[in-house]
Amino acid sequence: MTPEPNDPTRAGSPLPSEERVLMSQTEIETLCTKAARGAGMSWGNAEEAGFAVGWLHARSIDGASALLAHLERTEGAAWRDVCPVIETGHWHPSGAEPLCPVALGVTLCDFRALPEAALTGGGLTLGPVSRPLILVPFLAEVARLSGPLTVSWDGGAMEVTADSVLGNDIAGLVVTTLVLSAGVAASPAEGKPEPRKCDRAVLARLNDLAMKTTIPPSEKSCADAGAASSDND
Amino acid sequence: MVNANPKRETNGRRAPSVVMRLARMGSAHPTRLSFLRVMLRRMLAGDWRFDRPVWNIDDKGVGRAVYRAVGPDRTYSLVAFAHDLPDDMRSDRVIATAWDATFALFDGTPTTADLDRLQANVPLQEAGRISPRELSLSRANRSVRLWAHVIENLAAGRQPDPAEIGAVGYLMRTTAVYGSGKFGAADRREIAARPELAAPFQAEMLSVWLTRQFTVDIVEHLARVRGGAGAARLAPETKGLLGVGNSTGLGMAPFLVRHPILMNNWMAAREEALARVRTLDTATPDAVRGLNAAFTKACDNAACWHSQHPIQIAKLADLRADLDRIGERLTAFPGGEAQPWDALWRWGEDNLSLEGQETLFALLIEPHGPLVDDLAAGMSADETFRLDGAMRVGALRAILRDRYDWALAIDFADPAQQARFWYVSEDKLEPRLGERATDAMAEREQPLCTGRLAKELDDALQSWPEDETVAAFLLRHPEHRFMVRRAQIAASHPYAEVRDNLIAEDMLPIDLMRCKLAFFGASHFDPRSDKWVRICLFQGAPYPLDLKEGVAHDT
Repeated sequence: MTPEPNDPTRAGSPLPSEERVLMSQTEIETLCTKAARGAGMSWGNAEEAGFAVGWLHARSIDGASALLAHLERTEGAAWRDVCPVIETGHWHPSGAEPLCPVALGVTLCDFRALPEAALTGGGLTLGPVSRPLILVPFLAEVARLSGPLTVSWDGGAMEVTADSVLGNDIAGLVVTTLVLSAGVAASPAEGKPEPRKCDRAVLARLNDLAMKTTIPPSEKSCADAGAASSDND
Repeated sequence: MVNANPKRETNGRRAPSVVMRLARMGSAHPTRLSFLRVMLRRMLAGDWRFDRPVWNIDDKGVGRAVYRAVGPDRTYSLVAFAHDLPDDMRSDRVIATAWDATFALFDGTPTTADLDRLQANVPLQEAGRISPRELSLSRANRSVRLWAHVIENLAAGRQPDPAEIGAVGYLMRTTAVYGSGKFGAADRREIAARPELAAPFQAEMLSVWLTRQFTVDIVEHLARVRGGAGAARLAPETKGLLGVGNSTGLGMAPFLVRHPILMNNWMAAREEALARVRTLDTATPDAVRGLNAAFTKACDNAACWHSQHPIQIAKLADLRADLDRIGERLTAFPGGEAQPWDALWRWGEDNLSLEGQETLFALLIEPHGPLVDDLAAGMSADETFRLDGAMRVGALRAILRDRYDWALAIDFADPAQQARFWYVSEDKLEPRLGERATDAMAEREQPLCTGRLAKELDDALQSWPEDETVAAFLLRHPEHRFMVRRAQIAASHPYAEVRDNLIAEDMLPIDLMRCKLAFFGASHFDPRSDKWVRICLFQGAPYPLDLKEGVAHDT
């Protein structure tokens, strides 16, 4: 490892040279929060993006790559173009741009107890939404409060409960329309998953976005950040 | 219900409008609920033992050592690396790249392979990488003056001059002590269920306590190298005067703002402790003796508390004058009042400065361990909080009026009220304060300007019908999500918010730092600027390797 303690281009500790890096949940949450903010999300939504990737990370699912792919594609997109338009039974984007999974996720959580998010009849159609994997932690939050859910799409389906996800093929979806309906209680997966390593290249690109939340320091702020006297005493 | 006394909550605790002010938080003193006291109570109860299985330090003071705390169920080991640091590289700031000593707290007993792995990373600190087997990462620098004085005297077979020791108070000063998932370390949520780590910052406090042992061991080692068989060891009374220093800057200040639920729980525990003591209708002879003993200690502490900073010099003058008043008042304690502790407290509110009141606070709860120590268990927090979108706009505005009245009253059009902004520096990723009028890129401000965010939220809500949902509001205004969540937290956590403008021209970051450091158990708060402080930890506490196995010690 080549330490470069003064490397100005990093948002956390420098990444080890290994291609796969073991990250703590706190680290991945913090990095993704900053990256989402750096890509233009509000602070509140950026925190939710960090929560979502951290939730997946704790279950050994790679949410960082999916979030990065979404952020790189939509960086700077206007909220109105990626937030859901709520209509009975169908939440959809306002135009051609697919929904942001964080915007859709937080809105689902916010409306979870309100009639707009009712799952009666044929369920609630959502989308098209970008990187549906990032939506899963928010669905788990809804499930925690309202009971298990089934989410289905063209060619697949999965059960979501408060603590677990069964069926992992949602990870590969890029842009999809989903149908959400009340589900059945599934038995959670056995045991605790192994900590997941993250791709160095993905972390580096998230870091590039995260750096957009920082400011080159002024001489004054740099000078008066320390003690007014010497430390060598 | 109308609360007849705006200074007290209906549960007898002091009101947040009294407690959550920067000036008072910046006058906080350590108490028996401080985290290092909580840690020591457990470690000194008799069922933990301590040893030093590795001591590979050469004649230059370079090498590695391991200190173990062996408990009933688990063992923790401080792994220490000692370095030979040129004087010109010695800096306490985050910009430093090398230190006199570096440390990690290991979960268990490390193997040689673990030590080798740590040796390749821990000395690099932020530039290294640790693993889920580690619970903290830290470093320390020597107090150059005292270090040389102590070694020189011990080598010559003499004890160091107590006046020299008193003037500094420690052999080494830690700077950052990183925990909770930083740099690859174990996540807090992975270890929070262990009883010995359940209270806040217990791993960090254990690490610093074991570090204190290392600091005396290494000066005795170096004195022996220099003085041979004639070298003295530190006398117990001299050792007792030594704590561990700590130097900290703005990096610590945002913590309390970023963790509103945690801050609420810390503050609520303190306030509940005071409320319990105030309701007692007797002062037993034991408790009075305990109070007087604590008062004597507080006077000793104030006598050897030095600072050159004008703000702290004035505060120390207040404290010393107040201690005189308290001493006089205690000669008539307890009097004939129905609730003697409450009477003493109310006397303090009427007669003492904030410094004096906060020291009286610590004195009042000190003799009441059995009554208040259980509160430490409630000082950690599950910080997950899901925003309630079904709340109506009217209810949210009521929260703002109730919990953020102080913020709604601020005129943010006045440049002095938002003269500064918090940001993260690109070069070292540390929190800094910018000047809004002159510094560029204020749009990258961190959301620590809670008062202004509350005011902006209230302004945005004004045009919304009272019975509309918060969910609908946030679908239109995602920029307010951060503050809506905070406000909802504050509704159920009365001490969650500092009730002062954190971007005002006259805001003092050291007030936030002192509050947090007092919760750690720090004494001798010594500002070196309005953004930088030195403190001392564990002065007067026992040393782990001096404890007799299986024997409980007083704390």
